[in-house]
Amino acid sequence: MMAHSGYIPISYWQLSLSVILVLITGVISALLGLGLIKSLLWGTLRAFIQLTLIGFILTYIFKLNTLAVIIPLVLLQCYIASREATRRIDKAPHNPLLASFFSLTASTFIVGLIVVVVIIGPDPWYKAQVLIPIFGMIMGNSMNAIALSLDRLYSEVHAHVEQVEQMLAFGASPWESIVEYLRKAVGAGMMPTINGLMIVGIVSLPGMMTGQILAGMAPDLAVRYQFVVMVMIAAATAIGCLTIVGLSYKRMFNSDGGLVDSMHKN
Amino acid sequence: MSNLLEFRDLRRYFEGEQGRYVMESGSLEAGGIMVIKGPSGAGKSTLLKTLARLLLPQGGQVYLQGRDWMGFSSPEWRRLVQYVPQKPIVFSGSLEDNLQIPFNLKMLQNKAVFDRSQAVGLLNRMDVPGNLLGQSAATLSGGEAARMALVRAMLIDPQILLLDEPTAYLDGENRSRVMQAISEWAGMGHSRGVIMISHNDEDLQNLSKVSVLNITVRG
Repeated sequence: MMAHSGYIPISYWQLSLSVILVLITGVISALLGLGLIKSLLWGTLRAFIQLTLIGFILTYIFKLNTLAVIIPLVLLQCYIASREATRRIDKAPHNPLLASFFSLTASTFIVGLIVVVVIIGPDPWYKAQVLIPIFGMIMGNSMNAIALSLDRLYSEVHAHVEQVEQMLAFGASPWESIVEYLRKAVGAGMMPTINGLMIVGIVSLPGMMTGQILAGMAPDLAVRYQFVVMVMIAAATAIGCLTIVGLSYKRMFNSDGGLVDSMHKN
Repeated sequence: MSNLLEFRDLRRYFEGEQGRYVMESGSLEAGGIMVIKGPSGAGKSTLLKTLARLLLPQGGQVYLQGRDWMGFSSPEWRRLVQYVPQKPIVFSGSLEDNLQIPFNLKMLQNKAVFDRSQAVGLLNRMDVPGNLLGQSAATLSGGEAARMALVRAMLIDPQILLLDEPTAYLDGENRSRVMQAISEWAGMGHSRGVIMISHNDEDLQNLSKVSVLNITVRG
């Protein structure tokens, strides 16, 4: 084993030893009859192939380091993430994919550019090695927050159709009639991030910080990055949740400011 | 006599039912009470909610004192033509908080103020003691909640009350008291009226200016 400037690389031979770990999982699954072996093997294979591919792609893109490639890649990731965020939303009166894509892209770019350009400041400002991982982290968290917000929004309103109609009967605007549920939806989306801020460093050592320490960075420097990442994720989820809720609520109402018919079906 | 409210061929399909719909015409004179009758599934509640513009109609015209309903903004219309569902909607907070909700909306802000003594008067008229005002609304009985909802609708000062079985949660004595209060409310001023769904003919005894709209199952 040879040390490369602080970090210890894993050779292909060492990599193949990780099969031991797959075997352990497989044995547990077989002993308990969990019926997971097929999924486990398929999942392991997929993870290996996906990671290998992205390893090559990233290496290539880092070398190219041109906006013409970085921007389309980030947009593609945003699209895939927004599809994932809306996949299990089944109570929406309209397909929320477009709103989700917009919210995710907006939150990723606004916060990502602040972090990369203003705080980290690489040269050039769009250095792929910095921009892509930062944008990716924002996107992953924003995606989960948007999914939680959307799910909460529709379940709250579906559960309170009569209350919403009563508010409308009082002369409330659509916004006024559901603002209580909009707040809950934004809160639900942000809750995991807020909880994360509370326990970081005590209960969990985040993956990014751990990675930098493994790569040889001094822990006191790694925590600075981690702090930036945590507040960046909080800002991105706030923007993402607010945008998705703001874009989605109007679609629950018809042109006359009443609930659309599909919201009446319980 | 000119009509307070008139609707012509007002049509609305029900959700979830194959091709069933309600299509009715009717008119209500000032001070009058129109009672909607018909078998269940004929669309009585749908008709009320359509009149309240809580459901979009598929056709027809509605006029309030000769003015086309689409000339009103929907919040303005819903306030003037006030729908009270059969199951009273109780929000969190005290009874008084519940009565004040409509006055905290943009629509009524600076236009009307919550009048506590008027609220107490109306509650007393329906045999709900005024000292319940501070009590958590969640602790109200079904009958008290129904009367609170009716008072809340009256306080908004609409022209028309659309009442979906207003006495459903009430017992004998309170039924007639509430019906009297509704009738008195309709008779005050020259531009008020009530459209209500009722299955109980006893409720309509001793009331003046009552008309009946019988509706049938269509579709």
